[in-house]
Amino acid sequence: MKKTINIPLGSQHISLLEPVRFKFECENEKIIGVDADVGFVHRGVEKACTTSFKFDAIGYVVARVCGLCAITHSLTYTAAVEKLLGAQITSKAKYLRILLLELDRIHSHMLCLSHTCENAGFEAMFMRIMGDREHIMEIQELITGNRVQFDYISIGGVNRDLAPESVQKIKENLYIVKQKVQGYMDEFTNNWSLSLKFKGIGMLSLDDAYMYNAIGPLARASGLRIDVRNEIDYLPYHEVGYKMQTHTDGDINARNLVRLAELVNSIEMCENILNGLPEGDIFTKIKGKPQGEALMRFEAPRGELMYYIKGNGSAMLERVRIKTPTFSCIPAFSHIFLGGDYADAPAVLASFDPCMSCTAK
Amino acid sequence: MQKIEVSLENVRDEIKKFYDYKQWHFLTLNGLALADEKMEVQWIFSKYEAMDEIVIYYAVIDYNEIIPSVVDMIPSAIISQRELVDMFGVQVEGSEKGLYLDEDSQMSPLKGCSI
Amino acid sequence: MFDLKKYRKKSPWILHYNAGSCNGCDIEILACLSPKYDLERFGVINTGNPKQSDIFLVTGPVTFRTRERLVELYTQMPEPKVVIAVGSCACTGCVFRDMYNVEVGIDRYIPVDVYVPGCASSPELIIDGVVKGLEILEQKTKEMEKPFKLFKEATTDDGIVNRRHSALKVGEDDAKD
Repeated sequence: MKKTINIPLGSQHISLLEPVRFKFECENEKIIGVDADVGFVHRGVEKACTTSFKFDAIGYVVARVCGLCAITHSLTYTAAVEKLLGAQITSKAKYLRILLLELDRIHSHMLCLSHTCENAGFEAMFMRIMGDREHIMEIQELITGNRVQFDYISIGGVNRDLAPESVQKIKENLYIVKQKVQGYMDEFTNNWSLSLKFKGIGMLSLDDAYMYNAIGPLARASGLRIDVRNEIDYLPYHEVGYKMQTHTDGDINARNLVRLAELVNSIEMCENILNGLPEGDIFTKIKGKPQGEALMRFEAPRGELMYYIKGNGSAMLERVRIKTPTFSCIPAFSHIFLGGDYADAPAVLASFDPCMSCTAK
Repeated sequence: MQKIEVSLENVRDEIKKFYDYKQWHFLTLNGLALADEKMEVQWIFSKYEAMDEIVIYYAVIDYNEIIPSVVDMIPSAIISQRELVDMFGVQVEGSEKGLYLDEDSQMSPLKGCSI
Repeated sequence: MFDLKKYRKKSPWILHYNAGSCNGCDIEILACLSPKYDLERFGVINTGNPKQSDIFLVTGPVTFRTRERLVELYTQMPEPKVVIAVGSCACTGCVFRDMYNVEVGIDRYIPVDVYVPGCASSPELIIDGVVKGLEILEQKTKEMEKPFKLFKEATTDDGIVNRRHSALKVGEDDAKD
């Protein structure tokens, strides 16, 4: 006799920020089958990029694919177009781009960590991290003029210069956040409900990570050394002190620790950039229309983001392919759920830090 | 970026020969609408810990041809294959419609889109 | 005695649904609940249950798959309720207008009381919107409590007495006086 129960999670659920539906097939408490439905927020950005918008506007359109990693989306697209046009941007613009990219990573990781705490039932920690995250949002508002969806990157450079008087404020805020992150490290390694409870839950072994092509913090927590920042020479990541952070356990706790280590590294990078920012222009005028095909990758907070664009020498592009981090992680997610308890599912899901707006485009 | 043309018959053999899962990272499956009712299917790989080493296997096909599945070699390809079915209205072995669009939807948004 | 309407005004509960937005407005709503902006000082709590909520925050243009859920959630909420459209795309469709899988704003499907513009809406704007929504909620509560008076004449069609339309609409008797 078949004794399985089907339990849905979503599409609207208190532990979910976005609509996604998982259908769990459970045998008693154990999950033996998972079916994910990710297409709730599909809008059709890829098609609109080739039919409605010209190539110089698409950088701002693709930022609306995802609000959390908006800057990575527009940067990856812009870098791909610049590759096709053969443009060289100034080194100051490159450093400012890294600065914003890392600030975005910091606030995204803090959001994920706070969400993990909320799902563990640790409401006070959720509030603490969300409160500290506002320091980073302040910096972003100071640099770009908006808290999220800052249209900062344009083809040829960046849109706003860093004001000298704001540098001091940014440094102060980063220093505060750095101290707080040390405190989180302590909580996430020693607090019972954030460390021991999460050990051995939602395991992904190294071999499975290779097999399922996991990316981002999910893969790095399993010991897979994949990070696009290590694999590109377009932005000078190694000059600003980038170090890859990995862990070997592959459970929820390891993912949290990898995110925390990345936070520290990102803050260091931001400080290095602010201390050694070169003089010069932030914008280079670029002429021409994109022709040919280019493939560009960048490391978004959740993993590798890929853009493939093809132009034919006119203002409209032929194809814009967006491969987002969560999209290629879905098979790995489904694999991790198998064999776990249903009661762990919301916590495991939060530890993935899924972004459905990215996935469905 | 290295591009290698393959035909639909031998794409599975080629990828089987090439793909070592500890060395190569499968990025995604990409479709590209061409003129004259043709489309290009690309299997994109990148190398772990190498400086921008990308290999693209591509095949030019008609819309009514059936694309072979690579899920037994690369389990994570299933999601890209389902997306390809949705977006271009082509048939891929073992992948059904309904990732982004409804199961009974008549749309195939990117089919012949760029011409 | 336990006075429900007093507490409803003092502590409205929020239901949040993402109908296809880019997450930008969603994280700003989350930021509203965090210590810096602290929407909870108005007694606002984010809940996941439509049956217990008074204010419905919707972000994003409506995509084809979310529209059924949106209407379903709206109908499950008890009266009186207030709908707040957060973000430019929830109001008009914004950049997503004319994409093949997207409707233009949520007011095609459910009635909207407060529109909060901005891409992404800043927390200050969202708080303003919610406070405005509270006023409307109070007004709606008052309107609901007005009695329906039954003093219209019964109509007869084909010899059958029909009392179905004998109730007056709210405020109709005031106009009479």
